[in-house]
Amino acid sequence: MSSFLKIALRNLFKSPTTDPYPFGETFVPEGLRGKAKYNAGACIACRMCEHVCAGGAIQIREVADKSGLEFILWHNTCTFCGLCEYYCPTKAIRLTEDYHTAHRQEDKYRYVEKGFIKYVNCAGCGTPMVPISPELLQRAYEHVNKEIEMLRHLCPKCRQKRALR
Amino acid sequence: MRKILQKIAKKSPWLYRINAGSCNGCDVELATTACIPRYDVERLGCKYCGSPKHADIVLITGPLTARVKEKVLRLYEEIPEPKVTVAIGVCPISGGVFRDSYAITGPIDNFIPVDVNVPGCPPRPQAIIDGIIEAIKIWETRL
Repeated sequence: MSSFLKIALRNLFKSPTTDPYPFGETFVPEGLRGKAKYNAGACIACRMCEHVCAGGAIQIREVADKSGLEFILWHNTCTFCGLCEYYCPTKAIRLTEDYHTAHRQEDKYRYVEKGFIKYVNCAGCGTPMVPISPELLQRAYEHVNKEIEMLRHLCPKCRQKRALR
Repeated sequence: MRKILQKIAKKSPWLYRINAGSCNGCDVELATTACIPRYDVERLGCKYCGSPKHADIVLITGPLTARVKEKVLRLYEEIPEPKVTVAIGVCPISGGVFRDSYAITGPIDNFIPVDVNVPGCPPRPQAIIDGIIEAIKIWETRL
């Protein structure tokens, strides 16, 4: 009883422990996994994220006019597991610390993260292909020289031809 | 008299929680928002009630499993109009990781009109508070 009184007395002089969130500032723990953010410039369309996504939230599809690939992440089935970020070789997909997810029913199917990868034409033969991002080169080679930079603009077939020459 | 009641009722919507086959993750977060002084949801005038007949805002967790479907729908019918429905977590909104399972009868908005969605697995208490604030805004227009 006396210990309880001690705590009660001590709490009388303390400030409230309530987080003033809807009316004031709140805190975000470091490393919190929130809504995912996608960077189309770094993406190489390996589809690893689509493969490992536990909730089936990620889709990479070719657009109707075949001018590129479309990345769609539906937040409403994403479980924030972070597998996409872990397996992405170029870290094109990242989880942010943004957890404000409440929205109205009208926006249910519009609550997506979108990206568009435009095909580029191969410098050799001109066939459309997914651009090779600088992030991938950084990962693959220690030093990116001019030769490698030139290979970047070639499609796999032209690259093979060039290597065998 | 009715007008006065409407004015007063706006300030204190009562919450009611339905578990439609949830894994308990979202329920723990709901309990956290309600019971722990840090995220005290009662500051907004809300109060959890034990009977569906007293409820104004319904919080639904879980993907609506085949086993509880009838019970959830019956319980939902018992809640008096006007009511606001909030789907908490990824499961009631889309099925989440359980989507396309034979034990799931589908996203909850196939059977129950949902007003606010709070995705997350589970959502943070602050996100739940966001959703409840959104629901209170809708509740004010329906009175």
